[in-house]
Amino acid sequence: MRSAIGTRLPARTASVLAVVPARTRARLGVLLVTAAALLFPLLNGNDADIDSAANALAFAALALGLNIVVGFAGLLDLGYAAFFAIGAYAYGVASSWQLQPAWSSFWEPFQWLDLVARFHTAGGDVVHFQVSFWLMLPVSAAIAAFFGVLFGAPTLRLKGDYLAIVTLGFGEIVPIVARNTPSVTNGAMGLNGVAAPRLFGYDFGVDATPYYYVGIALVALLIVTTQRLKDSRIGRAWMAIREDEIAAAAMGINRVRFKLLAFAIGAAFAGATGTLYVAKLQTATPEMFMFPVSVMVLVMIVFGGIGSVWGVVVGALLLQILQSWFLEDLSQWLHALGRLVNIDGLQHVELASSIELIFGVILVFMMLYRREGLIPATRRVAALSLDEQAAQVGRGGFKGLPSIGAAVNSASGALLQVSDLTVRFGGLVALRSVELSVPVRGVIAVIGPNGSGKSTLFNTITGLVPADSGDVGFDGDDTLRLRPDAVLERGIARTFQNIRLFPNLTVLENVMIGMHARLETGPVGALLRLPANRREEAAAREHALEILSLFGNRLLPRADHLAASLSYANRRRTEIARALASQPKLLLLDEPTAGMNPAETLELADQIQSLNRHGLTILLIEHKLDVVAMLADKVVVLDHGEKIAEGSPEVVRRDEEVIRAYLGRSAAFV
Amino acid sequence: MSDYGVLLQQVVNGLSLGAMYALLALGFTLVYGILELINFAHFNVFMVSSFVGMWALELLGLSGQGQVLTGLALAGTLLFAFAVTMIAAGVLGVAIERLSLRPLRGVRGTAAMITTIGVSYILFNVILLTVGAGSENYPNPLPVVRWQFGEVTLELKELLIWGVALVLMVALHFFVNRTRLGKAMRATAQDAEAARMMGVDVDRVIVTAFFLGSALAGAAALIFGLYYNYTSFIIGYTAGLRAFTAAVLGGIGSIPGAMVGGLLIGLIETLGGQLIAVRWTDVIIFSILVLVLVFVPTGLFGRAAPTKS
Repeated sequence: MRSAIGTRLPARTASVLAVVPARTRARLGVLLVTAAALLFPLLNGNDADIDSAANALAFAALALGLNIVVGFAGLLDLGYAAFFAIGAYAYGVASSWQLQPAWSSFWEPFQWLDLVARFHTAGGDVVHFQVSFWLMLPVSAAIAAFFGVLFGAPTLRLKGDYLAIVTLGFGEIVPIVARNTPSVTNGAMGLNGVAAPRLFGYDFGVDATPYYYVGIALVALLIVTTQRLKDSRIGRAWMAIREDEIAAAAMGINRVRFKLLAFAIGAAFAGATGTLYVAKLQTATPEMFMFPVSVMVLVMIVFGGIGSVWGVVVGALLLQILQSWFLEDLSQWLHALGRLVNIDGLQHVELASSIELIFGVILVFMMLYRREGLIPATRRVAALSLDEQAAQVGRGGFKGLPSIGAAVNSASGALLQVSDLTVRFGGLVALRSVELSVPVRGVIAVIGPNGSGKSTLFNTITGLVPADSGDVGFDGDDTLRLRPDAVLERGIARTFQNIRLFPNLTVLENVMIGMHARLETGPVGALLRLPANRREEAAAREHALEILSLFGNRLLPRADHLAASLSYANRRRTEIARALASQPKLLLLDEPTAGMNPAETLELADQIQSLNRHGLTILLIEHKLDVVAMLADKVVVLDHGEKIAEGSPEVVRRDEEVIRAYLGRSAAFV
Repeated sequence: MSDYGVLLQQVVNGLSLGAMYALLALGFTLVYGILELINFAHFNVFMVSSFVGMWALELLGLSGQGQVLTGLALAGTLLFAFAVTMIAAGVLGVAIERLSLRPLRGVRGTAAMITTIGVSYILFNVILLTVGAGSENYPNPLPVVRWQFGEVTLELKELLIWGVALVLMVALHFFVNRTRLGKAMRATAQDAEAARMMGVDVDRVIVTAFFLGSALAGAAALIFGLYYNYTSFIIGYTAGLRAFTAAVLGGIGSIPGAMVGGLLIGLIETLGGQLIAVRWTDVIIFSILVLVLVFVPTGLFGRAAPTKS
């Protein structure tokens, strides 16, 4: 929002606006939008227009919910309308005459709570459900969230496009079940006589205006919820999963929990919206929740900007306005034109029926020409000044290290003890009975030809690859069978050989995701923004900037740049910064200097050395033997998954077995 | 008719539907094998082709099921209709690839899949807005010939469907395993980058996959029309989802898998409808889809697990 105002306007207006602080401008914008939204029914007395606006708000709420699942967590859900249906039927059944079980004393407590009424019929007394709309809003949300978890759970292992298909399947199943269980839903005929909400004795009835205001309140609430979640530990975790699941897990994010949380919250939005929608229509049929509805909401967020909070609201409102006002008016104009010039065809054009065609065109064109949508989620950043760009290669390692690394339990001895570790991929033995001991505050280098199992060793230690047998002990714990996020939490952080940053997040966000396991704010805290949560967030930001500043002016001026825009060496540095942010006891570096020039290599080697002097234990994979000789206390050599040598760099360098592994059989005898 | 006879008859019906689903599933599998893309446009390439087939038959002066042809006239008519439908479908598939998917090559994430949903929507609505929402009576020159085997009735149209499906699948098998382009296709499916370095024109392979897959959908579409004697703008969605389930069940990316999966889904549809209830058929099929994806993501014949990220 801020940048949308700041970057789009002509220079003169922008400079005038610049006098007003950005925060004030954003608040002013929100205030104006809110005022316009509140005044709309007073200015436009047309009930049909207000009715369309209320429907548009319902779809804006759906778009916000789907945006959490698709835009933030990156889980393409093609059956989102199912949750809309569940929320709608929940309220529909709880406030209509559809279910009328016989009266018994069981219902008396519910009668006191005014949830049901006793109703006299010829065949005996029956129960009439009359649960309040205001109670059902959160209850429907909770029911939908439950189904979100239920439908989400089986899809967790699937990658993107399969997830889409499974959700599509659930999206089909729910309306079919609704149609085939007429005792609860009245089947294809639809529920009838759903009660209208009442507020302090005022019955909403069929007038659109009160629903419009409830819609405004709901959308406002969901916008605030979404914004707060997005700018928190929770939102960062979702986006990390979206960008790179493996790296997210390795940085301490529990994928299962956060994916389910996204499904649940997205579904909850749809559940509450379904309740509002059905209260407004006072009926519910299975046809209202079929695949086209899911696609329509998807079109809205694609159009507005996947992942962008204001974008998806604007996208939903624009498309609804297009559908209910503009196409109708345009058709009328064409009819008039047809009568004027006497062309029969023009008099029968009904553009509103082509809305789905327009949706299809929008999907294709947005994907081909503007994937970021009308209002992109990522802000554009100003170019760096020459000063900021000019980085000097510095020697001597990090100056002024903040508190990195956590206290180690075992003051002496081995911090990491790998024993008898064997990993097989089908018939291939990637690691065979590997033994490795990393002493506290030591620097151990693992070397070996490509394919010798070095990265597999790292992947197994960090929980990404399961081991067939063996043990990994770390600081008094057995960590072999832990999930990657639990391994990080214990204090092992890593970098990847092929760099796995979160490309569409900023450098600062990348580093803050590294701190995920050390922060405590949960979804409720993120939502309420209690003082403790604010303090934690501010401190986290502070600490992340401190870590970025370690690398001089290489990363700090680029803190708000996307990781994807960084140079290769800076991406390596960001990855190390991200790992340091997790306050590790043990740092695993997988070829940290790969692709760096000699000066940069030395700079980084110095920095690694200073980390070690500061108390951090380091295990690194490195091909550059001069770096290994400079850093490592001990070198472990792997070949074909077996440890063939171990010792000081000097000793290993002269080992015949090692020479043969690296240079071939004949070289060893030269 | 005894229960046993009814079930046996449903097996015959299931095999006919299954042959159609198998042809349609092959299109999903060919494209997925190479691009790892679920092509939603395939649903409605099938639907549009059924109209092309209808128009081709009408071009020959046929309408409804009244005019019955025999002998050479029948063979010629069917050959013409299959050729026109399959070529038109193939061209449509290639056009979709060139216009909407090639520009997205190398874009990570779900952009390409969302595009195919958009294309599918466009095809769907173009037919809806031009032809209309009603069902079209499908011209069918096949004479009604029935053979009675005990309690089971076999119709000529069923033999035709099985024959066409068999010929096309054998031809596809031959193409993929015995020709140069087929070898390029298999190489690209294994590793597109490596295939490119070995001189395989990957774009040509992709176009071929789209052409073949769509042409098979065209054949399936004509079979649909001749089997059910109608077509409509909505047929793509249900048939497409069932065929996709067939591809997943067989192991997506696997050609024999798509064939076997198609037959299984056909049988599940008719027997499930018989034994449980027709109105739950879709729930059964989608449940299979979900269960297979969750528990056996490689399907029956699959090679690559779809869990890799």
